[in-house]
Amino acid sequence: MQRARSFVFGSKLAPYVFVAPFLIIFIAFRVVPTIYAGLISLDKFQGTDDLGFVGLQNYQKVFSNPALGKAFNNTLFYTLGTLLILIPIPLLLAVLLDSGRVVKETVFRVALFLPALTSLVVVSVIFRIVLSKDGLLNVGLAEAGLPSNAWLESASLAVPSMIIVAAWRWTGVNIIYFSSGLVNVPRDLYEAAAIDGASAWRTFRSITLPMIQPTVLFVLVLSIIGGFQLFVEPYLLWPFGNSPGNGGLSVALLIYRTAFNNFNFGQASAIGVLLALLILIVSIIQFRLFGGRRFER
Amino acid sequence: MKRMLSIAVVAMMIAACGGGTTTSTAPSTGASAPASAEASASASAAASESAAPQLCKAASPAEATFTFWTFVDRHATWWQKRADEWNAANPDKQVTLNCSVIAYQQMHDNLAAAFTAGSGAPNIVDIEIGKFANFTKGTIHLADMTAEVQPYVKDLVATRLAPYQADGKQYAVDYHLGAVLAYYNKDILDAAKVDPASIKTWDDYIAAGKKVQEAKSDVAFAAVDINGVIPIRSLMLEAGGGVYDQGGNLIMNSEANVKALQLASKMVNDDKIAIPAPGGNNGQPDFFAAMQAGKVASVWMPQWYMTRFPDNMDSLCGHMVIEPMPTFAGSSNTTTMQGGTGTAVTDQTPADKVQLAKDFVTWAKLTKEGQTSIWTDLGFDPYRNDVYDDPALKKPDPCFSNQITFDIIKSELSGVAPEYTGPAYPQAQDYMANTLINDVIVNKVDPKEALDTAQQTIESQQ
Repeated sequence: MQRARSFVFGSKLAPYVFVAPFLIIFIAFRVVPTIYAGLISLDKFQGTDDLGFVGLQNYQKVFSNPALGKAFNNTLFYTLGTLLILIPIPLLLAVLLDSGRVVKETVFRVALFLPALTSLVVVSVIFRIVLSKDGLLNVGLAEAGLPSNAWLESASLAVPSMIIVAAWRWTGVNIIYFSSGLVNVPRDLYEAAAIDGASAWRTFRSITLPMIQPTVLFVLVLSIIGGFQLFVEPYLLWPFGNSPGNGGLSVALLIYRTAFNNFNFGQASAIGVLLALLILIVSIIQFRLFGGRRFER
Repeated sequence: MKRMLSIAVVAMMIAACGGGTTTSTAPSTGASAPASAEASASASAAASESAAPQLCKAASPAEATFTFWTFVDRHATWWQKRADEWNAANPDKQVTLNCSVIAYQQMHDNLAAAFTAGSGAPNIVDIEIGKFANFTKGTIHLADMTAEVQPYVKDLVATRLAPYQADGKQYAVDYHLGAVLAYYNKDILDAAKVDPASIKTWDDYIAAGKKVQEAKSDVAFAAVDINGVIPIRSLMLEAGGGVYDQGGNLIMNSEANVKALQLASKMVNDDKIAIPAPGGNNGQPDFFAAMQAGKVASVWMPQWYMTRFPDNMDSLCGHMVIEPMPTFAGSSNTTTMQGGTGTAVTDQTPADKVQLAKDFVTWAKLTKEGQTSIWTDLGFDPYRNDVYDDPALKKPDPCFSNQITFDIIKSELSGVAPEYTGPAYPQAQDYMANTLINDVIVNKVDPKEALDTAQQTIESQQ
């Protein structure tokens, strides 16, 4: 018994024993389904019956579907839109909160973070009402003298509507990420800059930004991957995810629809493979471009 | 001591998190059935499974216990009632139902997964018409009910069985007919001196619309769904078209469909008597608000839309009137059918119990008593002809100006245009909701062009 214990918990085997639970679950629920999806993307399905290998036929059919281009377009615009809003603004807010100039900054931190804690389903249901023609947003715009819009009823406003929801929801989360990055910036650098007479903007540009570059990269990667996996908002903001003119269709929603509405599991897997390849390529580019740089110490 | 305490705390947390669904098979009393129906079937937007075996009581001694899945609480309660009635009438063949009410999309996803896996499917299941064709693709995991339905056919509006057939076999039976009616706001029409009963054809409808809008400028006579398919698809079917024809061919770009879409486009864009439904379709809160505020004067929807008035637009009760659906001049079609849910028996029912299941399902739905209770208990229009003379269907409806709804539906029964489904039906439904209707109504694309694109796109994906 003692020998068995020391074998299992000995320094050679112990690491594997401890990592094993995660590995087993990871392989069973991530790796195997991914490989399986890749395999069945090459098969023809009729209902739930797998009829066998048909080569790239599913990919051909998927490429001839106009909805595919729309889905990728929408997803890319959504991702870009969220990046443009959800990196600069939370960063500035985090710097502001960290600067010590805000009274009761904990209250603001909590208030900004609360949206991230709400169930995405609840958020979508509420925003369906907020974004309706007589909803809160249009009322607010009218008060400010701005024109109101048919947010959820127009093809061109579908992605902006989703970006509004995302901005409300994820600002707080990104503030937390940036705040934790800012906390690690050595205070003496700021003191040195103050002594040298640097302005706030100069300090931000030359000290803060370079020092939190790893955090920014991290948030960037997360935001891009999250953007590409967009599903819940388009699914719930419109009935069964049918936005006018497919203006809000995302790739993940198209996969779901192809699989569970149309019962085309082979084609759905093909779209899934394409999305995975896209995310992989984008991630590699990101790390090559940004991960290799080292800052001066 | 501290260690014991922390172990106890952890154990309690695990117990609290892990609890939830009870997996009892046949509870002996169902006294709390109505209460648990409300509690467990909260019909929320979230896709959550609420197993509610206490919804359905045990019979003793039970010949068979059947699991039943549905996505509507009212259906579950109805099935329990029918099971009780079956048990009273068949003491030697008692059945026990274990009902689960699962949110719409989730239930159909679970069913597909269960069929693929070969286990976990219920014995009896409700499948909505928009999803039904998915389950007749490839291997059909539903029991053939053709023989059991046959004795009832002569008494039914037979075309209602069409959507649930594949290869000439009957795989499910519906709850209701879903006859399309026209709903008018009586006050608005009276003020414009338009008599709703005089509107017989679509030309009459357009003329009435112009008159009403002249009398009151901020009213839209009609509202057409943009991301809902029912109003437009009703026009297509009434014109003689639809998604599929009887032979199982996809007929998106048929002449009849072109005619229907041209009419819809004309009403919205040329005659301007119809607007895109506020909120996108007439099931949205925006639409209910607009209708109640008197901004929309009429809609055409199936009979089951009647429940939306007391449920969501109750200030309109007493001010609404129902009339037959307007018709295309020269056509023998008086109305059509829309929506529906078929109840089927799955192949994951033990072989010695399948016959009992099929007998029970067809008896519950297709007998005179069953079809009568479809109206009295579920509020849906039956599709059995002899039921239309039953006194239960002759009660005036106070919400609808004391009209007798079924007299109006009965007047339409001579020309109910059938609807056929097929493998691409769910896909076509989606395409209509997200692309076709938006193109024709909002983007003013020529209907023939839009329908040709629809036909091509859907065919290429099969």
